[in-house]
Amino acid sequence: MRKRRAARTFHDAAFLHHRAAADLADRLEAIPRPFKRALAIGGSGVFLTELALRPGLKARIESVVNADLHTGDVLIDLDRLPFQDGSFDLIVSPLLLHWVNDLPGVLIQLRRALKPDGLLLASLFGGQTLHELRTSLIEAEAELTGGAGLRVAPFAHLQDVAHLLQRAGFALPAADRDLITVRYAEPMRLLADLRSMGETAAFAQRSSRGLSRRVLARTSDIYRERFSDTDGRVRATFEVLTATGWSPHESQQQPLKPGSAEARLADALGVREHKTGDKAGA
Amino acid sequence: MKEPDRKLLEVLVCPQTRSPLRYDRERQELISDSARLAYPVRDGVPIMLIDEARELGAEE
Repeated sequence: MRKRRAARTFHDAAFLHHRAAADLADRLEAIPRPFKRALAIGGSGVFLTELALRPGLKARIESVVNADLHTGDVLIDLDRLPFQDGSFDLIVSPLLLHWVNDLPGVLIQLRRALKPDGLLLASLFGGQTLHELRTSLIEAEAELTGGAGLRVAPFAHLQDVAHLLQRAGFALPAADRDLITVRYAEPMRLLADLRSMGETAAFAQRSSRGLSRRVLARTSDIYRERFSDTDGRVRATFEVLTATGWSPHESQQQPLKPGSAEARLADALGVREHKTGDKAGA
Repeated sequence: MKEPDRKLLEVLVCPQTRSPLRYDRERQELISDSARLAYPVRDGVPIMLIDEARELGAEE
């Protein structure tokens, strides 16, 4: 619901989403193949906006279904995707998947929605995102209330993403990350920006009590003390993870069968081979 | 009245049961017989959210 309410002001502070869409489009431009039917999810249509600026790429993608939680060609719930298996040969998702409760489950659903040899390109916020804000919040709460509540949604880490892709049945899974530092005149501007992006709920899960003004004011002080540059502006880190995976197809690189090696590893390394059960170095 | 995209309708299934849907043009609904739910189509946009679906009556 919070996400839906945020849609109205989304475009004011959506620079990170636009940047994410541009990054995914860059990656697609490097993959020289046509796509018949694409699904874009998340980012309130930023991917379509990006595509409109790139006629070469746009010409390679025959049709795009834009699905989102609150606007688009079709409204969807990520936990229950309404698409037949094998519907798309490309799924693009800029900065959305950090919202889902069940990332492994959603990845499996996305893989099933892909045709064989279909591509998933998705970005999401990772665990380093807003570490300055979270540190300041925890310290302010500990100081003022004698204990810090857990307000921070568990974000995925880079190694989790590659692992989850593999577990969801994606071939050639890959994950990489990009650290983006945004500088703000003061910490409260950052909070206002997050609110207009609709991201506060994902970053700081409110307990029923919410945050008191005192805690917020102290958070802002700690933030300024610890994370300012010499010109007085404060830094905020956003970690963007990008997940790439292909729906399996026989034309892709396959791992060799165990035991199919034609040379011994020990020979290649120039060491003595130990039998199973021998202790290395014994 | 804006019609939903034909190609999109071809790939949609019921989010609850993952079974095929019937398009009721008159009422602007996508009907899942297996879930006994009707998903609204508003201004050509299928709303595939279980919370927003209408439960089918006994006669439908």
